[in-house]
Amino acid sequence: MPDPIHQFEIKRYFPLEVLGIDATFTNSALYMVAATVLILGFLIFSMRGRALVPTRMQSIAESVYEFVAGMVRDAMGEQGMKYFPFVFAIFIFIFVLNMLGMIPGFFTVTTHLAVTAALAALVFVTVLIIGFAKNGFGFFKLFVPDGVPPLILPVVVLIEVISFLSRPISHSVRLFANMLAGHITLKVFGGFVVMLLGSAGAAAALAPLPILAATALTALEFLVAFLQAYVFAMLTCMYLNDALHPAH
Amino acid sequence: MPDPQDRPKVGSDFSSGVDNLTPEERKGFKDRLSKLDAKLDDVQQRRRTEVETHEDKAMRSKGMAMGLRMSSELVAAVIVGGLIGYGLDKWFETTPWMFLVFFMLGCAAGMVNVTRAFTKMQAEIAEKTGGDIGQDLADVDDD
Repeated sequence: MPDPIHQFEIKRYFPLEVLGIDATFTNSALYMVAATVLILGFLIFSMRGRALVPTRMQSIAESVYEFVAGMVRDAMGEQGMKYFPFVFAIFIFIFVLNMLGMIPGFFTVTTHLAVTAALAALVFVTVLIIGFAKNGFGFFKLFVPDGVPPLILPVVVLIEVISFLSRPISHSVRLFANMLAGHITLKVFGGFVVMLLGSAGAAAALAPLPILAATALTALEFLVAFLQAYVFAMLTCMYLNDALHPAH
Repeated sequence: MPDPQDRPKVGSDFSSGVDNLTPEERKGFKDRLSKLDAKLDDVQQRRRTEVETHEDKAMRSKGMAMGLRMSSELVAAVIVGGLIGYGLDKWFETTPWMFLVFFMLGCAAGMVNVTRAFTKMQAEIAEKTGGDIGQDLADVDDD
């Protein structure tokens, strides 16, 4: 049976060390560069006409913009549009990486916790910086809900702090786990087909069954690839909103 | 304000108009009325389900996104609580008390996370449906 984990292997292309840090150019890095080039290429190419009546490509780019802008306005209001570029970059980067991973034989960058954790940490640190820059020590109000009796306030504050610290973990693990599980499942079902066909006799006749399952799963995986990018961006908006308005 | 003295006259005119109808005509009117009523109900129903299925699709993918959130929201807080407790235990050599306390706090924080996310989602739905969560659609056309 083909190894379902094999697809997640990191291959080192050009060994590189910057200031004692291993910055080897890997297949993961290659796909991230490819995604960035694809996104930039698509956006620049589709918007080159800047037509009032958009062409097909331009209207795709515009609807992506509208989608993310709607998400940002929903969560943060009009003043949140200041952070639109950040949210848009995160959404489209994850979305394109997830979709690239759906092409058979391609590497899925978001199946690595290191990548999703780095993205979540980026959001977390951004929220901290914006929160303290905008509110100063008022940011700590995030941990003190209104109308709590002073007697249980210490417990509530501890719970709020744990809740706050759990954000980057759930943020990163959700994306990573969903992508990883989906790709392993697809590979396992694919492996069933090979195994059944390889076995002699009646079992080979059952081979179409896992193919059907894999087909259905592929459709589901496309949905998950989009949903996870959406959830990641939506939560980024919500966390940024907390940084802007720390009082609940 | 119409002159009160006019009212009986108008009323009697109207009722006399109705009285002039033969029983067959009356029945015909009633039939047409009930047919129109049924037609109207039909159109209303169809429009409602159209809107609903459209909303439903959007809500369902949003709901799935929310659902995927919840589990990790709960687990992450428990893990963070446990890790903080474990770290404090190592530091102060109080094994296992800090772990137990912070594990519990982590569970509570997980609950808070989930409740908060759900409350937000509920508020969004309430905003969309005009404050009517779980409205009974069958009762809408009752007078």
